[in-house]
Amino acid sequence: MKYTHKIVTIFISLFFVFSCSDLEEDTSGILSLDNLQTEGDLVAALTPLYKALQYTYSNPHFMRTNTYGSDDITTWWGGNKAPLRVFDQFNYGNGENADINWLDWDWVGHWRTIYYANSLIDGLKTSTAAESLVNSVEGEAKFLRAFAYFQLVREHGNMPIILDGMIPTGNEQRATVLENYKHIEADLLFAEANLAAPGSTPNVGRASSAAAKTLLADLYLTWAGWPVKDDTKYASAASKSKEVIDMNYHELLPIADLWLMENANSKESVFSVQFSSSEDQRNGHPAAFSFHMARGWSDCYPELQFFSDFPDGARKDATFVTDIPNRGFEKGQITTKNPATIPWEESERFHPMYKKYTLSEDLTVAGRSMGYRPVEIYRYAEVLLIYAEAKAASGTTDASALDALNQVKRRAAGLDPFTPDASIDASSATVIDIVDEKGWELAGEHKRWFDLIRTERLEEAASNRDPNEHVVLINQPTKANYIAPIPAEAIATSNLVQNPSGFKIQ
Amino acid sequence: MNQLIRIFLFTIVVTFGHYTLAQSSITGTVFGSDGQTIPGVTIIDQDNPSNGTVTDFDGNFTISVPADGTLSLSYIGYESKSVNVSGQTTINISMIEAVSALDEVIITGYGSQVKKSDLTGAISSIGSDDFESQPLVRIDQALQARAAGVAVTQTSGAPGAGYKIRIRGANSITGNNNPLYVVDGLFVGNINNINANDIKSIEVLKDASATAIYGNRGANGVVLITTKKGTKGKAKIEVSSFIGSSEVVQKIPVMSPSQFAEGVNLRDGVETIPQSRIDELRNGGGANWQDYFFRSAPFSNINISASGGSDDVDYYISGNSYKADATVINQDYSRLNLRANINAQLSDKLKVGVNNFISRSENNGARVNLAGGIAWDMTTPPRDADGNYNSAPLISGVGNGNPMPLLAPENNRVENISDQLISSIYADYKINENFTLNVSAGIEKIDLTNSSYESSLVNGVTGAVVRDQQGIRFQNTNRLTYKNNNTDHAVQADLVHEQQTYEMNFRTATASGFFTDSTNFQELSLASIQNTDSGNTNEKLESFLARVNYSLYNKYLFTASVRADGSSKFSEGNQWGTFPSGSIAWRVSQEDFLKDHPVISALKLRASFGVTGSQAVSPFSTIAIPGISTANNYPFTGDVASVGVAPSKKMPNPDLTWETTTQFNFGFDLGLWDSKTLLSVDFYSKKTKDILLDRVLPEFVGPSLISQNVGEVENSGVDITLNTLLYEKKDFSVSSIFNLSANKNNVVKLVDGEDTMVLGNVYYDNTFPVNPTRVEVGKPISSFRGYHFDGVYQTGSTEGTPGHAIYRDLNGDGNITSEDIGTVGDGNPDFTWGWNLNVDIKDFNINMVFEGAQGNDIYNFQRMRMMGLGSAQFHAVHADFLNSWTATNPSNTVHAGTQAARDSNQWLSSQFIEDGSYTSLRSMSITYNFKNALSDIGIEEFKVFANGENLFILTDYSGFDPVSTASGNSDVDLGIDLNTFPISRSFSVGFNLTF
Repeated sequence: MKYTHKIVTIFISLFFVFSCSDLEEDTSGILSLDNLQTEGDLVAALTPLYKALQYTYSNPHFMRTNTYGSDDITTWWGGNKAPLRVFDQFNYGNGENADINWLDWDWVGHWRTIYYANSLIDGLKTSTAAESLVNSVEGEAKFLRAFAYFQLVREHGNMPIILDGMIPTGNEQRATVLENYKHIEADLLFAEANLAAPGSTPNVGRASSAAAKTLLADLYLTWAGWPVKDDTKYASAASKSKEVIDMNYHELLPIADLWLMENANSKESVFSVQFSSSEDQRNGHPAAFSFHMARGWSDCYPELQFFSDFPDGARKDATFVTDIPNRGFEKGQITTKNPATIPWEESERFHPMYKKYTLSEDLTVAGRSMGYRPVEIYRYAEVLLIYAEAKAASGTTDASALDALNQVKRRAAGLDPFTPDASIDASSATVIDIVDEKGWELAGEHKRWFDLIRTERLEEAASNRDPNEHVVLINQPTKANYIAPIPAEAIATSNLVQNPSGFKIQ
Repeated sequence: MNQLIRIFLFTIVVTFGHYTLAQSSITGTVFGSDGQTIPGVTIIDQDNPSNGTVTDFDGNFTISVPADGTLSLSYIGYESKSVNVSGQTTINISMIEAVSALDEVIITGYGSQVKKSDLTGAISSIGSDDFESQPLVRIDQALQARAAGVAVTQTSGAPGAGYKIRIRGANSITGNNNPLYVVDGLFVGNINNINANDIKSIEVLKDASATAIYGNRGANGVVLITTKKGTKGKAKIEVSSFIGSSEVVQKIPVMSPSQFAEGVNLRDGVETIPQSRIDELRNGGGANWQDYFFRSAPFSNINISASGGSDDVDYYISGNSYKADATVINQDYSRLNLRANINAQLSDKLKVGVNNFISRSENNGARVNLAGGIAWDMTTPPRDADGNYNSAPLISGVGNGNPMPLLAPENNRVENISDQLISSIYADYKINENFTLNVSAGIEKIDLTNSSYESSLVNGVTGAVVRDQQGIRFQNTNRLTYKNNNTDHAVQADLVHEQQTYEMNFRTATASGFFTDSTNFQELSLASIQNTDSGNTNEKLESFLARVNYSLYNKYLFTASVRADGSSKFSEGNQWGTFPSGSIAWRVSQEDFLKDHPVISALKLRASFGVTGSQAVSPFSTIAIPGISTANNYPFTGDVASVGVAPSKKMPNPDLTWETTTQFNFGFDLGLWDSKTLLSVDFYSKKTKDILLDRVLPEFVGPSLISQNVGEVENSGVDITLNTLLYEKKDFSVSSIFNLSANKNNVVKLVDGEDTMVLGNVYYDNTFPVNPTRVEVGKPISSFRGYHFDGVYQTGSTEGTPGHAIYRDLNGDGNITSEDIGTVGDGNPDFTWGWNLNVDIKDFNINMVFEGAQGNDIYNFQRMRMMGLGSAQFHAVHADFLNSWTATNPSNTVHAGTQAARDSNQWLSSQFIEDGSYTSLRSMSITYNFKNALSDIGIEEFKVFANGENLFILTDYSGFDPVSTASGNSDVDLGIDLNTFPISRSFSVGFNLTF
């Protein structure tokens, strides 16, 4: 017994000696971004930039709540669409309604892209990977950063400049629109020089040099219009878009086939946002562009005036649904009711719908009209129209410029784009003609708003609004409505000055 | 029968012996009810009080008394006892601990036990006899209404659901405000599974002198749970069981289906529902959804324990099984647990023991959405004439866009399993008379498996998530205790070294695109898309503690402690913190001027001060963690996604440290009339600083958040407990314990000198992005936001359209804009109270627990939703809609039901703020005790009882009940009612058998 005590004492004393060594956290399970070496590392760091873009582009109310004022779309008068109506009705412009729902989705998404791009570009500075690889990844990061800034500046006005190598504190001030254009231009010049040629890699979703040139052309076109109005930039827009045309890679598809799922990532697509059926990464556009009776959400559909003005022909048939599907939902399946369709005039929203987005819908996924087709950011038709407009605006319209316009017009009529047709072809075209053509061609593709403000025609478009629209304008738009408010939360947490007083052009 | 004969013979011997035996020397030992010997017991000859002795250190005594004499035993903390010598020469006597609350022994942590009369800090103690007559399942139920300063809220009526416990208010804002739970000396993550029948006592440490020994985890108060152990003697087997049934306390009044249909047409302005259908509904049909959602739910509980012990070994083993259906359809709960507590005295110096606990609980069933479900189309019954589901409203656009509310609960599957193992061992080694060394080690392991499956029948999509999480905690505590034997200068000192590690890891598998619903989450490989996620965290804590208790002449009591904690959660340089405390107490009643006072039998004044901490941060908080999940993966080819690694959303902050709470406490304990009335009053004031808050960064900075130690919160209040023995006669006694707690919570400072922060849930984010709560300097942590509803414009009004709601134009700009959203109430009560009344009439016992809260507001979003507000396509189902304004019904409380009278402000307005004050009869039990009437068949005790829970709730609140809440365990959005799980009224009967 005596010994037992000693043994016990020794054992107990051992506990005092035993200790959990040190108080360091074991962080071996956490991945670090500071050490990019292999191509795999670089792609892993690049992926979230694209993902941020996908997040923004998965739904029209995520990407463009603040551009609902354009004349190609309106929204439901009821439901939860109040934030969309704020912009459809021009109920903003003096800093009010900055706190509405959805306004900050694109803001958050684009800044996320910029943050990821800055982090990646900083990481590349110490990367030991091959220089050509580093440059092409840096080109992609800069392309995506430029695109994010371009959207932000056009939607919300001049932005604070946050680029790689900076450690922002939140106290930064807004630069001018012109200063923003310059760093966007610099990024795109780097990108066009370092990105792969279109079609040279199987990764169709990654930006090509053609995408960078197209974005650059769009930047110059915007630069030449409101608000900076530097008309020397029309020539730059023309030469950049011509470079894309001269690559002879992209081409126009037959209009009736363009929006099919199997024509995703066709040669018409210059840059698009990818979704995936095998990963169930869904594109919300089909549901957003369908009425509830067609198992959608009634977020977005064409304005009546725009629809009636739209020239008849193959393109109109390919753009709109006029017999609205009449669907139900039973036992987990979408069903077709009797009658199977209802003419749009008698449908529950009294409007047609956009076929562009519903043609590729998948009704078997979620009891709603769902889709996986990529969302086009730039397609070749736009490149042709940028070229035509830039040439016309700079007074240098020539045969190549008219041919670019006519290729789009012929295709719209259901014809071969390269075969001249006197009944279709324009022999001359004003800037307004071309912008209107672009409006029809890119209807509902989130472009019309920017063309209207760039060419200062928003007021005119709004004054043509059909009086039968259910969403009635609260204000006629003025220049104050050209720029959306900066989301209230961002104003509250920073020193940014709200529009319109914070809006500085140059 | 044998036993009866023996008793009979014994009685005869005693009777005769009385006359025949002469004075003799008697030896014996005095034991407590726990089998431990009691030193220092005074023993006198009842007939000759000058003849007496005191038991020695081992409880032994020797005394000479006449053989027919009587021994009288007394000892502080124990009931006095008389024993007839009856000719025996060796007598072992057991003494029962005294009922006087002042003599209760209180566990104060780290092995220390103090009589309540010697306590210097503020500690509430609840013994098993306080709640034995209430059929309990969870420990938190036992705490409810029984301890001043301890707010125990049943936030959900789901069986097995956790309770929210706050000790003297919430200190942190977004951090954890749960108290620290210590079971038999071992820190545990939760007490959800522990069997209430196994509990011997629960101590709640409230003031800083009591909690500072727990250092950087003590700030939210500490709940010490002591489980039962065996007592020396014959084996005791106890079987107790109850069965019963629950129902929701009340349903919410709704319109009839035909009234609903008329409301739809009124609101839509067109005949959405044809008049013919309305006429049809007047004769029946349609659905009152609450009738489909709620049911009476049976429950049952059985508990078996065996305990006993010999001289060297004692044991307590138990098993418990509890099963309950929920009052909401398709949900149920079951729990099974086993315990074995064994102690062995290996030698006179060495004692060892083991406490083992293992349990499994299961929570099954997909919950119906009560918010949208009750407000769903009342004209569409759940099934058509053929018994098939009506998945969507029969007339499109009525109600809302969600699928028929029974689809999810009846077809989806949810299974949540929680396995918990708590095991600890200790060795207690008496080095010499003064020093004791205690070493203990323990493990807690919690494994959670949460599985869910969404059936294709609900939304046309299938999906399953299975998450496995394993947590394991190791603890080692080494304690050296010194105790002297000087009663004038009693000193007890402890030195403690403690270390802990906690590791957690999880794996989540998500799958979607099942081609069949038949195997659900049990066969994930049938899904066309499968993803996995995993992660792990770890934390370490090392601590040193020194504590001294000093009692001078048993009048002046001092306690001081200092604890140093080092935590791995913080960066080097910030890892160690020191938490001191001190307290003094003066037993005024021991002074000559108060001794033997006819009324005041005890009076003690107490004061304490101390610093405690809360390591509210999660592991890895000080570093930036890149984002890795499917949310960062992108399909470059439109097919398989490439894996992405995104920069951290949070900016690293290596300067993070714990939140620190400084607390002062002043109190007194007053015993009147032999301490039959005991009054304890404590005033306290707490200040918590360095509260961890996330500063929101503007998006252009990149990371969206940085955590900083910036907030400050104050809590001050009073805890009052009044124990009274109202009446005491042999066959009739009435005792009462009343407690009242008033706490005032006040936010002093937030991020960057901001006046307000929005931290709670956005309950209606898809419709209206303004958060219904915010945290505001100068107010309690959570206050309600909204427009001030000032009634309804009446006919002839020149200021607004008749029938439309009037909102207060706070900024006077003539328009109602979001600038006019103000503070419209808060969910903090002014005070809460509990009253436990116990009546014994002969063999009957009646026990009642009343409980209430006063002065708290509730934001009744459930009613708002049922009024069809929140989104333009919603329609009203609530009976209040019948009182809507019309030209002939000039209501000033409900605006007109037309579409024109709707506006997007209505849902967030003081129209839906209601007073949540209530008084409830939380529990009432009647027990009949057969006592030893059945001893013939070997049954020592037999009790039967009937119990009712929530027999009434007196309140003006119009929802299900004022207790359950959507806010759950959160403190930043208190008092929100939307889709809550209502609490239930239940009745049960049961028995308790001991043999």
